Amino acid sequence: MAVADLNVDVAVSARTAKQLYADLLSERQQFILDVRNEDDFERWGIEGRKSLEVLNIPYFNFIEEEDDSVAQVPTDADVLVVCAKEGSSQFVAAILQERGIEAAYLQDGIVSWGNLYDARDVVDAGYGRIVQVARPARGDLSFVVISDGEAAIVDPLRHIEHYLDVVSEAGASVTHIFDTHAHADHISGGPALNEETGAPYYMHPYDAIHPLDMLPGTIDYNYLSDGQTFTVGQFEVKVIWFPGHTLGQVNYLFTAPSGESFLFSGDGVFLNSFGRPDLGGKGEAWTPILYQSLYERLPQHLNEDTLILPAHFSTLDEGDENGVFTAAWGEVKAQNRSLQPRSLEEFSEYVLGNLPTFPKEYVEIKRVNAGLLQPDEEKASELELGKNICALADA
Amino acid sequence: MEQTTIAFDEILDVQGLKCPMPLVKSRRAVGNIDVGNVLKVVATDRGSVADFQGWAKTAKNMELLEQEEVQENGTTLYVHYLRRTK
Repeated sequence: MAVADLNVDVAVSARTAKQLYADLLSERQQFILDVRNEDDFERWGIEGRKSLEVLNIPYFNFIEEEDDSVAQVPTDADVLVVCAKEGSSQFVAAILQERGIEAAYLQDGIVSWGNLYDARDVVDAGYGRIVQVARPARGDLSFVVISDGEAAIVDPLRHIEHYLDVVSEAGASVTHIFDTHAHADHISGGPALNEETGAPYYMHPYDAIHPLDMLPGTIDYNYLSDGQTFTVGQFEVKVIWFPGHTLGQVNYLFTAPSGESFLFSGDGVFLNSFGRPDLGGKGEAWTPILYQSLYERLPQHLNEDTLILPAHFSTLDEGDENGVFTAAWGEVKAQNRSLQPRSLEEFSEYVLGNLPTFPKEYVEIKRVNAGLLQPDEEKASELELGKNICALADA
Repeated sequence: MEQTTIAFDEILDVQGLKCPMPLVKSRRAVGNIDVGNVLKVVATDRGSVADFQGWAKTAKNMELLEQEEVQENGTTLYVHYLRRTK
Protein backbone atom coordinates (compact mmCIF):
# COMPACT_ATOMS: atom_id res chain seq x y z
CA MET A 1 0.00 0.00 0.00
CA ALA A 2 1.36 3.38 -0.93
CA VAL A 3 1.06 5.91 1.84
CA ALA A 4 0.13 8.43 -0.87
CA ASP A 5 -3.26 6.65 -1.18
CA LEU A 6 -4.04 7.99 2.23
CA ASN A 7 -3.15 11.58 1.42
CA VAL A 8 -0.24 11.41 3.82
CA ASP A 9 3.14 12.50 2.52
CA VAL A 10 5.36 11.49 5.38
CA ALA A 11 7.98 8.79 5.07
CA VAL A 12 7.77 6.33 7.92
CA SER A 13 10.42 3.77 8.69
CA ALA A 14 9.84 0.08 9.08
CA ARG A 15 11.24 -2.13 11.79
CA THR A 16 11.48 -5.90 11.44
CA ALA A 17 10.38 -8.38 14.09
CA LYS A 18 14.02 -9.37 14.55
CA GLN A 19 15.01 -5.76 15.28
CA LEU A 20 12.03 -5.44 17.59
CA TYR A 21 13.15 -8.48 19.59
CA ALA A 22 16.64 -7.01 20.03
CA ASP A 23 15.06 -3.71 21.10
CA LEU A 24 12.79 -5.44 23.60
CA LEU A 25 15.68 -7.36 25.14
CA SER A 26 17.84 -4.24 25.44
CA GLU A 27 14.83 -2.14 26.56
CA ARG A 28 15.56 0.34 23.78
CA GLN A 29 11.93 0.02 22.70
CA GLN A 30 9.94 1.61 25.52
CA PHE A 31 6.58 2.20 23.92
CA ILE A 32 4.35 0.22 21.55
CA LEU A 33 1.14 1.52 20.07
CA ASP A 34 -1.04 -1.41 19.02
CA VAL A 35 -3.71 -0.21 16.56
CA ARG A 36 -5.61 -3.48 16.10
CA ASN A 37 -9.21 -3.68 17.25
CA GLU A 38 -9.80 -4.26 20.96
CA ASP A 39 -10.81 -7.92 20.65
CA ASP A 40 -7.66 -8.85 18.78
CA PHE A 41 -5.56 -6.88 21.23
CA GLU A 42 -7.11 -8.66 24.18
CA ARG A 43 -6.48 -12.04 22.64
CA TRP A 44 -2.74 -11.46 22.42
CA GLY A 45 -0.12 -8.78 21.94
CA ILE A 46 3.55 -7.99 22.15
CA GLU A 47 5.06 -8.38 25.60
CA GLY A 48 8.47 -7.13 26.60
CA ARG A 49 10.34 -6.60 29.81
CA LYS A 50 8.52 -5.03 32.72
CA SER A 51 9.42 -1.51 31.62
CA LEU A 52 7.65 -1.79 28.26
CA GLU A 53 4.49 0.24 27.87
CA VAL A 54 1.87 -0.99 25.40
CA LEU A 55 -1.16 1.09 24.49
CA ASN A 56 -4.11 -0.02 22.36
CA ILE A 57 -5.85 2.61 20.24
CA PRO A 58 -7.56 1.02 17.22
CA TYR A 59 -6.58 2.61 13.90
CA PHE A 60 -10.21 3.50 13.17
CA ASN A 61 -10.15 5.78 16.21
CA PHE A 62 -7.43 7.73 14.41
CA ILE A 63 -9.74 7.94 11.40
CA GLU A 64 -12.79 8.91 13.43
CA GLU A 65 -11.21 11.08 16.14
CA GLU A 66 -7.71 11.96 15.03
CA ASP A 67 -7.02 14.74 17.54
CA ASP A 68 -8.23 12.82 20.58
CA SER A 69 -6.37 9.70 19.55
CA VAL A 70 -3.07 11.49 18.90
CA ALA A 71 -3.38 13.25 22.25
CA GLN A 72 -3.23 9.89 24.04
CA VAL A 73 0.20 9.08 22.59
CA PRO A 74 3.19 10.34 24.59
CA THR A 75 5.08 12.92 22.55
CA ASP A 76 8.51 12.09 23.92
CA ALA A 77 8.52 8.35 23.24
CA ASP A 78 9.99 6.55 20.26
CA VAL A 79 6.74 4.90 19.18
CA LEU A 80 6.51 1.58 17.37
CA VAL A 81 3.09 1.20 15.77
CA VAL A 82 1.81 -2.35 15.33
CA CYS A 83 -1.23 -3.76 13.55
CA ALA A 84 -2.35 -7.11 12.19
CA LYS A 85 -0.56 -7.02 8.86
CA GLU A 86 1.15 -3.65 8.36
CA GLY A 87 -1.10 -1.21 6.46
CA SER A 88 -2.88 0.41 9.37
CA SER A 89 0.29 0.80 11.40
CA GLN A 90 1.93 2.55 8.46
CA PHE A 91 -1.10 4.82 8.25
CA VAL A 92 -1.08 5.70 11.96
CA ALA A 93 2.72 6.10 12.10
CA ALA A 94 2.45 8.62 9.25
CA ILE A 95 -0.20 10.60 11.16
CA LEU A 96 2.03 10.65 14.25
CA GLN A 97 5.11 11.69 12.27
CA GLU A 98 3.13 14.53 10.76
CA ARG A 99 2.28 15.66 14.27
CA GLY A 100 5.94 15.61 15.26
CA ILE A 101 5.92 12.31 17.16
CA GLU A 102 8.77 9.94 16.32
CA ALA A 103 7.09 6.78 15.00
CA ALA A 104 8.01 3.65 13.04
CA TYR A 105 5.87 0.63 12.15
CA LEU A 106 6.37 -3.10 12.48
CA GLN A 107 7.04 -4.59 9.07
CA ASP A 108 4.54 -7.33 8.09
CA GLY A 109 2.55 -6.71 11.25
CA ILE A 110 2.14 -8.69 14.41
CA VAL A 111 2.02 -11.91 12.39
CA SER A 112 5.73 -11.55 11.72
CA TRP A 113 6.37 -11.12 15.45
CA GLY A 114 4.33 -14.26 16.13
CA ASN A 115 6.43 -16.23 13.64
CA LEU A 116 9.84 -14.93 14.71
CA TYR A 117 12.36 -17.57 15.74
CA ASP A 118 15.58 -16.67 17.49
CA ALA A 119 18.55 -19.04 17.72
CA ARG A 120 21.45 -18.43 20.09
CA ASP A 121 24.11 -20.42 21.89
CA VAL A 122 23.65 -21.38 25.52
CA VAL A 123 26.85 -23.42 25.56
CA ASP A 124 29.72 -23.43 23.09
CA ALA A 125 32.42 -25.74 24.42
CA GLY A 126 35.01 -28.16 23.12
CA TYR A 127 32.68 -31.11 23.64
CA GLY A 128 29.76 -29.49 21.81
CA ARG A 129 27.16 -26.78 21.57
CA ILE A 130 23.69 -26.22 22.96
CA VAL A 131 21.64 -23.83 20.86
CA GLN A 132 18.41 -22.36 22.21
CA VAL A 133 15.77 -21.86 19.51
CA ALA A 134 13.09 -19.55 20.88
CA ARG A 135 9.78 -18.38 19.49
CA PRO A 136 9.62 -15.25 21.68
CA ALA A 137 6.02 -14.20 20.99
CA ARG A 138 4.77 -17.52 22.32
CA GLY A 139 7.30 -17.91 25.12
CA ASP A 140 8.37 -21.21 23.55
CA LEU A 141 11.88 -22.61 23.90
CA SER A 142 13.45 -25.55 22.11
CA PHE A 143 17.01 -26.73 21.67
CA VAL A 144 19.58 -28.22 19.37
CA VAL A 145 22.46 -30.10 20.96
CA ILE A 146 25.40 -30.64 18.64
CA SER A 147 28.46 -32.77 19.36
CA ASP A 148 30.90 -34.53 17.03
CA GLY A 149 28.67 -34.05 14.00
CA GLU A 150 25.57 -35.44 15.72
CA ALA A 151 22.58 -33.27 16.51
CA ALA A 152 19.71 -33.93 18.90
CA ILE A 153 16.69 -31.66 18.71
CA VAL A 154 14.67 -31.19 21.89
CA ASP A 155 11.02 -30.08 21.80
CA PRO A 156 11.07 -28.81 18.21
CA LEU A 157 8.35 -26.33 17.25
CA ARG A 158 6.30 -26.42 14.09
CA HIS A 159 8.58 -24.46 11.73
CA ILE A 160 11.28 -27.07 11.33
CA GLU A 161 13.42 -25.13 8.85
CA HIS A 162 14.93 -23.19 11.76
CA TYR A 163 16.40 -26.39 13.26
CA LEU A 164 17.58 -27.70 9.93
CA ASP A 165 19.40 -24.39 9.38
CA VAL A 166 21.19 -24.58 12.74
CA VAL A 167 22.17 -28.20 12.12
CA SER A 168 23.40 -27.69 8.56
CA GLU A 169 25.33 -24.53 9.44
CA ALA A 170 27.14 -26.62 12.04
CA GLY A 171 27.85 -29.30 9.44
CA ALA A 172 26.06 -31.87 11.58
CA SER A 173 23.21 -34.27 10.94
CA VAL A 174 20.13 -34.94 13.02
CA THR A 175 20.39 -38.20 14.93
CA HIS A 176 17.72 -37.85 17.65
CA ILE A 177 14.43 -35.96 17.90
CA PHE A 178 13.35 -35.76 21.54
CA ASP A 179 9.96 -34.48 22.67
CA THR A 180 9.60 -34.08 26.42
CA HIS A 181 5.85 -34.62 26.17
CA ALA A 182 2.75 -34.26 24.00
CA HIS A 183 2.43 -30.48 23.93
CA ALA A 184 -0.93 -28.77 24.37
CA ASP A 185 0.04 -25.21 23.45
CA HIS A 186 1.88 -25.72 20.18
CA ILE A 187 2.19 -28.15 17.34
CA SER A 188 5.28 -30.30 17.62
CA GLY A 189 7.81 -30.26 14.80
CA GLY A 190 8.89 -33.80 15.78
CA PRO A 191 6.96 -35.87 13.25
CA ALA A 192 7.82 -33.46 10.40
CA LEU A 193 11.51 -33.53 11.33
CA ASN A 194 11.37 -37.31 11.46
CA GLU A 195 9.93 -37.36 7.96
CA GLU A 196 12.47 -34.84 6.68
CA THR A 197 15.62 -36.31 8.25
CA GLY A 198 14.76 -39.94 8.97
CA ALA A 199 16.07 -39.50 12.53
CA PRO A 200 13.96 -41.30 15.15
CA TYR A 201 11.31 -39.30 16.99
CA TYR A 202 11.17 -40.17 20.68
CA MET A 203 8.41 -39.72 23.21
CA HIS A 204 6.90 -41.63 26.11
CA PRO A 205 4.05 -43.99 25.14
CA TYR A 206 1.71 -42.58 27.79
CA ASP A 207 1.65 -39.34 25.81
CA ALA A 208 0.63 -41.02 22.58
CA ILE A 209 -2.90 -41.32 23.94
CA HIS A 210 -5.12 -38.25 23.85
CA PRO A 211 -6.04 -37.84 27.54
CA LEU A 212 -9.42 -36.17 26.97
CA ASP A 213 -10.59 -38.12 23.93
CA MET A 214 -9.06 -41.35 25.31
CA LEU A 215 -8.05 -42.23 21.78
CA PRO A 216 -4.76 -43.76 20.67
CA GLY A 217 -2.51 -41.49 18.60
CA THR A 218 -1.52 -42.40 15.07
CA ILE A 219 1.90 -40.74 14.93
CA ASP A 220 5.00 -42.73 14.22
CA TYR A 221 7.35 -42.53 17.20
CA ASN A 222 9.88 -44.51 19.24
CA TYR A 223 8.98 -45.52 22.79
CA LEU A 224 10.92 -44.09 25.70
CA SER A 225 11.19 -45.62 29.15
CA ASP A 226 12.35 -44.22 32.47
CA GLY A 227 16.12 -44.50 32.85
CA GLN A 228 16.78 -45.17 29.17
CA THR A 229 20.14 -43.85 27.96
CA PHE A 230 21.48 -42.47 24.69
CA THR A 231 24.67 -40.91 23.48
CA VAL A 232 24.76 -37.80 21.32
CA GLY A 233 28.36 -37.19 20.28
CA GLN A 234 30.20 -36.76 23.57
CA PHE A 235 27.04 -36.29 25.64
CA GLU A 236 25.52 -39.05 27.75
CA VAL A 237 21.74 -38.69 27.84
CA LYS A 238 19.44 -40.10 30.50
CA VAL A 239 15.65 -40.14 30.32
CA ILE A 240 13.94 -39.17 33.57
CA TRP A 241 10.22 -39.90 33.69
CA PHE A 242 8.46 -36.84 35.12
CA PRO A 243 4.70 -37.40 35.11
CA GLY A 244 2.31 -34.69 36.28
CA HIS A 245 1.92 -32.09 33.54
CA THR A 246 1.21 -35.04 31.27
CA LEU A 247 1.42 -38.71 32.25
CA GLY A 248 4.24 -39.39 29.84
CA GLN A 249 6.38 -36.30 30.29
CA VAL A 250 10.12 -36.98 30.50
CA ASN A 251 13.11 -34.77 31.17
CA TYR A 252 16.39 -35.32 29.33
CA LEU A 253 19.57 -35.06 31.37
CA PHE A 254 22.60 -34.43 29.15
CA THR A 255 26.00 -34.91 30.77
CA ALA A 256 29.19 -33.68 29.10
CA PRO A 257 32.61 -35.37 29.51
CA SER A 258 33.55 -32.44 31.79
CA GLY A 259 30.85 -33.55 34.22
CA GLU A 260 28.69 -30.50 33.46
CA SER A 261 25.04 -31.44 33.19
CA PHE A 262 22.06 -29.94 31.42
CA LEU A 263 18.43 -30.76 32.07
CA PHE A 264 15.87 -30.24 29.33
CA SER A 265 12.92 -29.92 31.66
CA GLY A 266 10.12 -29.41 29.12
CA ASP A 267 6.98 -28.30 30.93
CA GLY A 268 8.21 -29.70 34.23
CA VAL A 269 10.37 -27.17 36.05
CA PHE A 270 10.26 -23.63 34.63
CA LEU A 271 12.61 -20.91 35.89
CA ASN A 272 9.86 -19.20 37.87
CA SER A 273 7.10 -21.79 37.95
CA PHE A 274 6.31 -25.32 36.79
CA GLY A 275 3.92 -26.97 34.35
CA ARG A 276 0.26 -27.11 35.35
CA PRO A 277 -1.23 -30.59 35.96
CA ASP A 278 -4.74 -29.98 34.60
CA LEU A 279 -4.35 -29.84 30.81
CA GLY A 280 -5.20 -33.53 30.58
CA GLY A 281 -8.53 -32.75 32.25
CA LYS A 282 -7.61 -34.51 35.52
CA GLY A 283 -5.91 -31.85 37.59
CA GLU A 284 -6.88 -33.24 40.98
CA ALA A 285 -5.75 -36.75 40.19
CA TRP A 286 -2.50 -35.65 38.59
CA THR A 287 -1.42 -33.11 41.21
CA PRO A 288 -0.01 -35.74 43.65
CA ILE A 289 1.85 -37.34 40.73
CA LEU A 290 3.34 -33.97 39.86
CA TYR A 291 4.31 -33.50 43.49
CA GLN A 292 6.28 -36.75 43.45
CA SER A 293 8.01 -35.81 40.21
CA LEU A 294 9.02 -32.37 41.46
CA TYR A 295 10.08 -33.22 44.99
CA GLU A 296 11.20 -36.85 44.77
CA ARG A 297 11.79 -38.24 41.30
CA LEU A 298 13.73 -35.37 39.71
CA PRO A 299 16.02 -33.89 42.44
CA GLN A 300 17.98 -37.14 42.97
CA HIS A 301 19.36 -36.84 39.42
CA LEU A 302 20.52 -33.22 39.67
CA ASN A 303 23.30 -31.29 41.34
CA GLU A 304 23.31 -27.60 42.26
CA ASP A 305 25.09 -26.70 39.02
CA THR A 306 22.87 -28.62 36.62
CA LEU A 307 21.65 -26.10 34.09
CA ILE A 308 17.87 -26.09 33.73
CA LEU A 309 16.62 -25.51 30.17
CA PRO A 310 12.82 -25.34 30.15
CA ALA A 311 10.41 -25.37 27.19
CA HIS A 312 8.78 -22.06 28.14
CA PHE A 313 9.38 -18.69 29.71
CA SER A 314 6.64 -16.51 31.19
CA THR A 315 8.23 -13.09 30.70
CA LEU A 316 11.34 -11.79 28.96
CA ASP A 317 12.68 -10.82 32.39
CA GLU A 318 13.30 -14.51 33.10
CA GLY A 319 16.10 -14.43 30.54
CA ASP A 320 19.43 -12.65 30.54
CA GLU A 321 20.24 -9.59 28.41
CA ASN A 322 20.85 -11.84 25.40
CA GLY A 323 17.56 -13.69 25.66
CA VAL A 324 18.97 -16.93 27.03
CA PHE A 325 16.54 -18.58 29.42
CA THR A 326 18.46 -20.83 31.75
CA ALA A 327 19.64 -21.05 35.35
CA ALA A 328 21.46 -23.53 37.58
CA TRP A 329 19.28 -25.90 39.63
CA GLY A 330 20.56 -24.38 42.90
CA GLU A 331 19.51 -20.95 41.70
CA VAL A 332 16.13 -22.16 40.46
CA LYS A 333 15.37 -23.79 43.81
CA ALA A 334 16.23 -20.56 45.61
CA GLN A 335 14.33 -18.19 43.30
CA ASN A 336 11.35 -20.16 42.06
CA ARG A 337 8.64 -19.48 44.62
CA SER A 338 6.45 -22.29 43.26
CA LEU A 339 9.12 -24.80 44.22
CA GLN A 340 9.38 -23.88 47.89
CA PRO A 341 9.05 -26.86 50.25
CA ARG A 342 5.41 -27.80 50.79
CA SER A 343 3.51 -30.79 52.13
CA LEU A 344 1.40 -32.62 49.59
CA GLU A 345 -1.67 -31.01 51.08
CA GLU A 346 -0.23 -27.49 50.84
CA PHE A 347 1.01 -28.23 47.36
CA SER A 348 -2.42 -29.40 46.15
CA GLU A 349 -4.08 -26.36 47.59
CA TYR A 350 -1.49 -24.08 45.99
CA VAL A 351 -1.66 -25.74 42.57
CA LEU A 352 -5.41 -26.15 42.32
CA GLY A 353 -5.93 -22.61 43.55
CA ASN A 354 -3.69 -21.12 40.87
CA LEU A 355 -4.78 -22.78 37.66
CA PRO A 356 -5.11 -20.27 34.83
CA THR A 357 -7.80 -20.52 32.14
CA PHE A 358 -7.86 -23.64 30.00
CA PRO A 359 -7.62 -22.45 26.38
CA LYS A 360 -10.07 -24.47 24.31
CA GLU A 361 -7.54 -24.76 21.47
CA TYR A 362 -5.33 -26.92 23.69
CA VAL A 363 -7.60 -29.93 23.31
CA GLU A 364 -7.31 -29.64 19.54
CA ILE A 365 -3.56 -29.05 19.55
CA LYS A 366 -3.12 -32.29 21.51
CA ARG A 367 -5.17 -34.01 18.80
CA VAL A 368 -2.78 -32.65 16.17
CA ASN A 369 0.22 -33.85 18.16
CA ALA A 370 -1.30 -37.32 18.51
CA GLY A 371 -1.91 -37.45 14.76
CA LEU A 372 -5.70 -37.39 15.20
CA LEU A 373 -6.13 -34.12 13.32
CA GLN A 374 -4.28 -32.63 10.32
CA PRO A 375 -4.70 -28.85 10.20
CA ASP A 376 -3.82 -26.75 7.17
CA GLU A 377 -1.42 -23.82 7.59
CA GLU A 378 -4.17 -21.29 8.34
CA LYS A 379 -5.74 -23.51 10.99
CA ALA A 380 -2.33 -24.31 12.48
CA SER A 381 -1.44 -20.63 12.92
CA GLU A 382 -4.84 -19.92 14.36
CA LEU A 383 -4.42 -22.70 16.94
CA GLU A 384 -1.04 -21.29 17.93
CA LEU A 385 -2.12 -17.68 18.27
CA GLY A 386 -0.72 -15.82 21.26
CA LYS A 387 1.33 -16.88 24.20
CA ASN A 388 1.39 -20.25 25.92
CA ILE A 389 -0.43 -20.75 29.22
CA CYS A 390 1.35 -23.85 30.44
CA ALA A 391 2.55 -22.54 33.81
CA LEU A 392 0.65 -21.89 37.01
CA ALA A 393 -0.98 -18.46 37.21
CA ASP A 394 0.83 -17.32 40.32
CA ALA A 395 4.32 -17.55 38.86
CA MET B 1 -23.49 -14.66 9.15
CA GLU B 2 -26.69 -15.36 7.29
CA GLN B 3 -27.38 -13.83 3.96
CA THR B 4 -29.87 -11.01 4.35
CA THR B 5 -31.75 -8.73 2.03
CA ILE B 6 -31.05 -5.31 3.42
CA ALA B 7 -32.11 -2.46 1.17
CA PHE B 8 -29.26 -0.12 0.27
CA ASP B 9 -28.84 3.13 -1.63
CA GLU B 10 -25.18 3.15 -2.63
CA ILE B 11 -22.56 0.50 -3.10
CA LEU B 12 -18.80 0.75 -2.47
CA ASP B 13 -16.51 -1.88 -3.89
CA VAL B 14 -13.28 -2.27 -1.87
CA GLN B 15 -12.41 -5.77 -3.05
CA GLY B 16 -8.68 -6.43 -3.06
CA LEU B 17 -7.96 -3.53 -0.73
CA LYS B 18 -6.22 -4.18 2.54
CA CYS B 19 -6.51 -2.63 5.93
CA PRO B 20 -6.94 0.31 6.54
CA MET B 21 -8.26 1.19 3.07
CA PRO B 22 -11.70 -0.49 3.22
CA LEU B 23 -12.47 1.51 6.33
CA VAL B 24 -10.87 4.76 5.14
CA LYS B 25 -12.87 4.66 1.90
CA SER B 26 -16.07 3.64 3.67
CA ARG B 27 -15.84 6.53 6.04
CA ARG B 28 -15.43 8.96 3.17
CA ALA B 29 -18.32 7.35 1.30
CA VAL B 30 -20.62 7.52 4.33
CA GLY B 31 -19.91 11.26 4.47
CA ASN B 32 -21.06 11.58 0.87
CA ILE B 33 -24.45 9.87 1.12
CA ASP B 34 -27.63 11.46 2.49
CA VAL B 35 -28.50 11.13 6.15
CA GLY B 36 -30.65 8.02 6.61
CA ASN B 37 -29.33 6.31 3.50
CA VAL B 38 -27.57 2.95 3.51
CA LEU B 39 -24.15 2.15 2.01
CA LYS B 40 -23.32 -1.41 1.07
CA VAL B 41 -19.56 -2.10 1.29
CA VAL B 42 -18.13 -5.18 -0.43
CA ALA B 43 -14.70 -6.21 0.86
CA THR B 44 -12.37 -9.19 0.59
CA ASP B 45 -10.32 -8.36 3.69
CA ARG B 46 -11.44 -10.71 6.45
CA GLY B 47 -10.15 -8.34 9.09
CA SER B 48 -12.78 -5.83 8.02
CA VAL B 49 -15.49 -7.78 9.87
CA ALA B 50 -14.13 -7.15 13.38
CA ASP B 51 -12.77 -3.72 12.43
CA PHE B 52 -16.13 -2.43 11.17
CA GLN B 53 -17.72 -3.63 14.42
CA GLY B 54 -15.09 -1.75 16.41
CA TRP B 55 -15.43 1.33 14.24
CA ALA B 56 -19.23 1.32 14.68
CA LYS B 57 -18.73 1.67 18.44
CA THR B 58 -16.82 4.94 18.08
CA ALA B 59 -18.30 6.30 14.87
CA LYS B 60 -20.21 9.58 15.18
CA ASN B 61 -22.36 9.52 12.07
CA MET B 62 -22.82 5.88 11.14
CA GLU B 63 -24.45 2.71 12.39
CA LEU B 64 -23.59 -0.82 11.28
CA LEU B 65 -26.86 -2.50 10.29
CA GLU B 66 -25.64 -5.90 9.20
CA GLN B 67 -22.65 -7.91 8.07
CA GLU B 68 -22.66 -10.95 5.83
CA GLU B 69 -20.23 -13.42 4.35
CA VAL B 70 -20.93 -14.36 0.74
CA GLN B 71 -19.19 -16.89 -1.51
CA GLU B 72 -18.80 -15.64 -5.07
CA ASN B 73 -16.78 -17.46 -7.73
CA GLY B 74 -14.57 -19.05 -5.13
CA THR B 75 -13.91 -15.76 -3.33
CA THR B 76 -15.25 -14.95 0.12
CA LEU B 77 -16.81 -11.51 0.24
CA TYR B 78 -17.36 -9.62 3.47
CA VAL B 79 -20.33 -7.31 3.05
CA HIS B 80 -21.14 -4.49 5.45
CA TYR B 81 -24.29 -2.34 5.51
CA LEU B 82 -23.74 1.10 7.01
CA ARG B 83 -26.39 3.77 7.60
CA ARG B 84 -25.51 7.43 7.86
CA THR B 85 -27.17 8.73 11.03
CA LYS B 86 -26.15 12.41 11.03
